[in-house]
Amino acid sequence: MENATKCIDVEKEKMISRKKRERKKNVVAYSFITPNFIGFAVFTLVPILFAFLLAFMEWDGSNQPTWAGTSNFQSVFSDSLFWKSIEHTIIYCIGTVPITMLLSLLLAIVLNQKVKGRAFFRTISFFPYVGSLVAITAVWTMIFNPTKGPVNAILYYVFHVANDNLPNWFAGKLVMVSYIMFSVWKYMGYYMVIYLAGLQNVNTELYEAASLDGANIFQKFRYVTLPQLRPTTFFVVVMLTINCFKIYDIAIMLAGGGDNKLGSSATVLVYYIYQNAFQFWKLGKSSAAALALFALVLIVTMIQFKGEERFAND
Amino acid sequence: MKRKIISILLAASMVASLGLTGCGNSSSTKTSDTTQSTDKTDTTKDTTAATDGDKVTINWAIWDKDSSTYWTKLKEGFEEENPNITVELTDLGATDYNTVLATQLSGSGSTFDVVSIKDTACYSTLIEKNALEPLNDYITTEGIDLSQYNGITDQIKANDVLYELPFRNDTWVVYYNKDLFDAAGIDYPTNDMTFAEYDKLARSLSSNEFGKQVYGAHYHTWRSTIQLFGALDGTDILGGNYDFLKPYYETVLSEQADGVCQDYATLSTASLHYSNAFSQGNVAMLNIGSWFISTLITKLNAGEYDSSLCGNWGIVQYPHPEGVEAGTTIGTVTGIAVTSASEKKDAAWKFVQFASSEEGAKIVAETGSMPAIVTSEISAILASVPGFPLDQNSKEALTPTKVYMDIPYSKHSAEIDAVLSTYHKDIMNGDISVDDGIAKMNEDVQKVLAQ
Repeated sequence: MENATKCIDVEKEKMISRKKRERKKNVVAYSFITPNFIGFAVFTLVPILFAFLLAFMEWDGSNQPTWAGTSNFQSVFSDSLFWKSIEHTIIYCIGTVPITMLLSLLLAIVLNQKVKGRAFFRTISFFPYVGSLVAITAVWTMIFNPTKGPVNAILYYVFHVANDNLPNWFAGKLVMVSYIMFSVWKYMGYYMVIYLAGLQNVNTELYEAASLDGANIFQKFRYVTLPQLRPTTFFVVVMLTINCFKIYDIAIMLAGGGDNKLGSSATVLVYYIYQNAFQFWKLGKSSAAALALFALVLIVTMIQFKGEERFAND
Repeated sequence: MKRKIISILLAASMVASLGLTGCGNSSSTKTSDTTQSTDKTDTTKDTTAATDGDKVTINWAIWDKDSSTYWTKLKEGFEEENPNITVELTDLGATDYNTVLATQLSGSGSTFDVVSIKDTACYSTLIEKNALEPLNDYITTEGIDLSQYNGITDQIKANDVLYELPFRNDTWVVYYNKDLFDAAGIDYPTNDMTFAEYDKLARSLSSNEFGKQVYGAHYHTWRSTIQLFGALDGTDILGGNYDFLKPYYETVLSEQADGVCQDYATLSTASLHYSNAFSQGNVAMLNIGSWFISTLITKLNAGEYDSSLCGNWGIVQYPHPEGVEAGTTIGTVTGIAVTSASEKKDAAWKFVQFASSEEGAKIVAETGSMPAIVTSEISAILASVPGFPLDQNSKEALTPTKVYMDIPYSKHSAEIDAVLSTYHKDIMNGDISVDDGIAKMNEDVQKVLAQ
């Protein structure tokens, strides 16, 4: 009997000390998180929560905000420019995400082989990502200038495209193609590096096993490389999607002309938010549009998380 | 389950932090003080300004300090008269001046005591934000005679209150390159030219000969370079119906298709400034405001522009629609104002008073720019600026018979301006037809007006 009580006491003591240890561990962990969290809370979390509130208010950044109910949302949803900007942003995402992903994966696989000058080519591929956006877009607009650029000159002289049919790369439907091309080219190198890191973690024994089973190079890619890269791919897709929804700088720099304004055929969601906030000073309407962007990104990301879970369980 | 919740929370925070940082900036500005505004308007005239012997420094928001010399000259002229007050210039750049200025003046306090007001859109935004000090009391106290501004002040009153005083007043004119007219053997344009005659003239001057291309006309990418033609009969640009713009868009688009003017998409893609276009010596006529005179003179005198290409130039009055009196044009007022957040309002007002006075006007005129006050003495100063065009036509071009504001004051000015710019781009890029573009302008501006 006595022994049993002793035993329980010892167990209790053990539990208490374990709890203490855990609490201590937690304190250490939280103390590491705190500095970052304070910054996040002050500069991101509070403004975001405020934006949620602001979407139901009318405010110009100076005068007293007034309660506006859902009128901001009504105003946003009845605005044809809002729907245009949503449409363009989605087209941009649909175009950019898969192409960037595929090309960066391809680049990573090629540059993961033991080829001569591998480091050189890896560096070259990363260059566009490092380059200043402003400088690069300046060069792009020169190259694709509708009447003076070399691209249209080649189309004219080499491919004999009639003068009237030469494409205007930064207007009409083509402007989306230009955004996508530019974005893929600029960010491919970055995602290539992430894929390269992912490739280093692929177990080489699996390739040997696959070879023994008689798998060819495509089968190895399909059944070994791709599944092993699944977490990397997931990360790449989520990051790409979120970044794509944020498109603003590329649009302004490529299609903004000299006055940094976008026509309705080139407008994107963040530009719409910016314009309402800082040109019209309708911070409520702008927040309502920002919430729509938030909802859009959240839904897409949730779908991606769900998809990832299903894949993982398969 | 717990893990699932954590992963959902993580995902949400990731989306929030990444997805919303695009608008995070806006949100963070939004968090700034929400209660200060009403106090601002009550601020009485301040006191901290110069008591004798006290040094005061005021901060003045401007744009393009290096290319427009009058900013510094006004500062120097003022400081000479008021040794106790130092004026600091803050250059916010021209392209995003309105946005940057309005952002700086949002929330509580401001580093600016005096601000230059670039256009009506900027003016109305700042009035709506209660960022400008009403000047009526100051004007009455100092006994300033508003008639010296030739009626401009009546057009910039907001509900009978003046929040700025004009210090520059530009009108839209047509610059022409005399050498190109001489080479083509065509008479120079006159001060009485209908829009149809202007179009005909532009067409007769243009040449598509390879290497010797001449463009009869040039339209900068701003909406105003085309839309203002339509406003010369006094049509209200804020009215909500833009059907009157159709003939002007059609004419310019047809000129573009025939190579009479440079292609909009090319100009926009290259962000080509109108001054650079004119300086290349292949643009026969350029319609733009009289502010370009000082730029042209300064750059030609400095040797930055090749005078053999564009040195022989003149100006004539704006082409007018049939039935509208010759000499009718559009005016753009540049104002100067005291911020309501300034803690040195007396010193700031002193400076505003100086810059908008006849004395300030003389300083502005000495740089070849058009001041808001024009007397015979000031006209003489302008004419004496080396390089200022002295032929009779050019002199007359600067004395219009009727001037309409480019965009009148309204609380919707900024938004309507943006709508018109958006569809101007679409029409000029050829993304939508003129009819569709104008229909969209009508629809969207009506919505703005209904708010």
